[in-house]
Amino acid sequence: MTDQRRVGITCLGCGLLCDDVTVAVSGGGVSAMSPPCALGSAWLGSGAVTDRIRHAGNDVTFEAAITAATSLLTGSRGRLLVFLGPGLTIEALKPAVAIADRLQASTDTATSAAAASGILAGQRRGRAAATLGELKNRADFVLFWGADPARTHPRLIERLVDAKGTHTPAGRASRTVVSVRIGTDGAVNGADDSIQLAAAQELAALSILRSIVAGGANPATDKTLAGLPELAARLMAARYVAIVAGGEDGDPSRPSQRAEGLVALAQALNTPARAALFTLRGGDNQNGVESLLTWQTGYPFAVEFRSGVPVYHADRRALGDAGSVDSALLVGDWRAIPSASLNAIASLPKVIVGPSASEAPGTTRVSIDTGRAGIHEGGTAYRLDDIPLPLAAALDGPRTAAMVLGALEEAVSRSLREVAA
Amino acid sequence: MTTGATLRIAGGVVYDPANGIDGEVRDICIADGRIVTDLPAGTPSLDVRGMVVMPGGVDIHSHVASSSCNHARRLLPEQHAADPVPAPRLAGGHMGRSGTGGTVPSTFATGYRYAGLGYTTVFDAAIAPLTARHTHHEMSDTPCIDAGCFVLMGNDDYLLRLIDAGERHRARDYAAWLLGATGGYAIKVVNPGGVEAWKTPQRNLTGLDEPLGSSRVTARGILETLTDAANTLKLPHAVHIHANNLGMPGNVATTLESFQALEGRRAHFTHLQFHAYGTGGGWKSAARELSDWVNTHPELSVDVGQVMFGPATTVTADGPVEYLLYKSSGRKWVNIDVELETGCGIVPLEYKEKAAVSALQWSIGLELFLLAKDPWRVVLSTDHPNGGSFLAYPQLIQLLMDRTVRDERLKLVNQKFLAGSALLDGLDRQFTLGEIAIITRAGPARLLGLRHKGHLGAGADADVTVYSRQDDIAAMFASPRYVLKQGELVVEEGHLRLAPNGRRLYVRPAYDDAVVPGVRAHFDRYSTVQFDHYPVQGLPNGPLGID
Repeated sequence: MTDQRRVGITCLGCGLLCDDVTVAVSGGGVSAMSPPCALGSAWLGSGAVTDRIRHAGNDVTFEAAITAATSLLTGSRGRLLVFLGPGLTIEALKPAVAIADRLQASTDTATSAAAASGILAGQRRGRAAATLGELKNRADFVLFWGADPARTHPRLIERLVDAKGTHTPAGRASRTVVSVRIGTDGAVNGADDSIQLAAAQELAALSILRSIVAGGANPATDKTLAGLPELAARLMAARYVAIVAGGEDGDPSRPSQRAEGLVALAQALNTPARAALFTLRGGDNQNGVESLLTWQTGYPFAVEFRSGVPVYHADRRALGDAGSVDSALLVGDWRAIPSASLNAIASLPKVIVGPSASEAPGTTRVSIDTGRAGIHEGGTAYRLDDIPLPLAAALDGPRTAAMVLGALEEAVSRSLREVAA
Repeated sequence: MTTGATLRIAGGVVYDPANGIDGEVRDICIADGRIVTDLPAGTPSLDVRGMVVMPGGVDIHSHVASSSCNHARRLLPEQHAADPVPAPRLAGGHMGRSGTGGTVPSTFATGYRYAGLGYTTVFDAAIAPLTARHTHHEMSDTPCIDAGCFVLMGNDDYLLRLIDAGERHRARDYAAWLLGATGGYAIKVVNPGGVEAWKTPQRNLTGLDEPLGSSRVTARGILETLTDAANTLKLPHAVHIHANNLGMPGNVATTLESFQALEGRRAHFTHLQFHAYGTGGGWKSAARELSDWVNTHPELSVDVGQVMFGPATTVTADGPVEYLLYKSSGRKWVNIDVELETGCGIVPLEYKEKAAVSALQWSIGLELFLLAKDPWRVVLSTDHPNGGSFLAYPQLIQLLMDRTVRDERLKLVNQKFLAGSALLDGLDRQFTLGEIAIITRAGPARLLGLRHKGHLGAGADADVTVYSRQDDIAAMFASPRYVLKQGELVVEEGHLRLAPNGRRLYVRPAYDDAVVPGVRAHFDRYSTVQFDHYPVQGLPNGPLGID
């Protein structure tokens, strides 16, 4: 097969969704990508996926699998878990959520505990945020807070800090960069200044900064935090501050209230200056899952349909309550789900729809392999700042998740109508 | 849609002001989703004798399907929990979708509730171009209504550069390109220049001629450029303007100055109530001054943005206004700056009868309606969910139609700032059903250039609402007896029967291709989205034609 280049690929390797990626295709698989990115390469992989449809351990036709899946899922109405896993397009998620709604299921997502605490903080206080380009174009002060972009979002420095913008014509030279390292978390190389905080100091530090920014006195009694007033003064003197914070699970000793502290600081900075909190969420269209659930149900995650209406159980995630369900529908890339989550539903009879579904461990009743979003399947995915971007299919692959879940939703609806008739 | 379906809506009292029909007993005939002049005898019929028949409602200004709305939804879980919406059981054993309500309902619930009010066409009044793809996804999940969106341009970086360079003709082409790229219907301007200023130490523009930063761009220049663009492009709807200084005491001066700046040019000013506060210090009504201008300038149209007492959520691209609201209210606040284009601010609040400013706002809205000499140009809106939910339309209609109810309510509200209000002078006007039909469907459809909407003449879309007459006007308009969408019976006896997908209303105006290389170069330098990824594709139907 002739080597080919696919341009304009949107990468789901992290939440930045870089959409300027070129992929070299050789022999039906991915041989290289540019610009180079470790996470992007890991996400792309070789492009190889399995293509099987199985029921009870046997290869079956697509129609037979849909019939069997429908039977299992409708038989568990009211006691079903639908796990909206990573790596699905909006077009695939729509029928998946419809199935959950129609079968009065509990749902869960791959939303991490840290991400969930950020969402909840936003629901309590609101937030001050901006899209990536706004920070590229305007931020003259970038405060990295417990962030390690080289590890989690490898092209962030290139796309935000070093990039030249409308109000930052010299790129990196137009900005002051300060890195606050929390506990053992990573930090940013090349910052103008760095501050090390113990994990136990984080909340106090955020509180001090906010207090000073809001015009209050410095309440610090901890001498190791003596540098914070100066940092606060520099933030307040800036034109536009970007606070870039890690948004996914990191140091387990990190306090869950940090998200609220960061939101409050970003909001407070909008009086003396302008400021936005930019939270480094993960890839695989996690923001898309939450956005879709929000517009369809009003809630971004942990939505339960058991009573016939969406109910928000942010404090009682369905995966942690797997004993209350009889079966599960797992959609998306199971390999990107934390093993603890997978273990929680390992013994449940399951329907799995997603890449290499047929290779998932545990009790899988029906599996339908699909291509991977953004590699074999086009559609829409959301960047970490909730900007929707188109996905292109770089490679030929098996059937799409959108097609499979659309067919499954149709079959479920038909079955419910027949029961009701 | 049921192809080939025919139906005679027989014996109703028809209000079809676009065709000069004001309460005449007539049959309305439907074939293939359209109104036709007649049908053969024996055609299936719907007996609506004694009932009121109107075209389906048309909402010219609402916020229902945008990334801003979705940020607002996320902010309000407590409202959703208090207002769950079960999946409706539809005809043929089909089930609809569940959802939640509150001031910013989920998408399916939004579609169902609009249909339940007899509204069949709705425009989202402000979308950031960069998030147009999101808007179209939401609209695909908002059944029962035909929907379109207005595209925010009044603070667009590239457009401001073109204006600064004196290239207004190119700005027009850029606006046309942007409408096509986003699947938009009209040009929207919010606080021209002020949202861009909010992102800088300037923080806002205070008047029409204050330069934006060090540029030559002013709010006046933005208004003139985009007004002329809409008119030169012959867009079906005029430029849709949210003027500067929204919500500020004394802002009538800015509003009148904006009117004057565009005098003689077709333009639509939105939620006029929020721009109608008198000068001279303190809070007072300037509804008379604005109504005088609107009444004598036929090129101008407005919607009111009525405040209704109860919970609301302010959602707007006008970031600096929301910041001030946050600081004064202490409520939770969202601000999101959108690169190169616009912003978004959100603050939930409640309008209270006993709160002096709320009462003034409520009063001004009613004044604007009641002082209007030409209802075709003064459209009903609450700027949902800013002034209140669209679910409050029936109560608003009652206030307009029933002076007794209005006067009783007036006695209950805080009078502190009502001195000088025309309401206190005993405005005794009561809207007729024909006038209600104008301000809720015929007028907005005409202003939107929707030839197939807002009337019941041959060729119109068979979007029809039938009401049972009731003494309680609010109850009558809250629960239509029948609602037909494209000829299909969607609502019957207050129950949703069908939830069809609506059509997308958008335009794709022609433009000079010479504008594109400059746009692309600007994108390549300053955007974080690839130029080729910007335009939305795959909309469910084609664009509306432009004459």
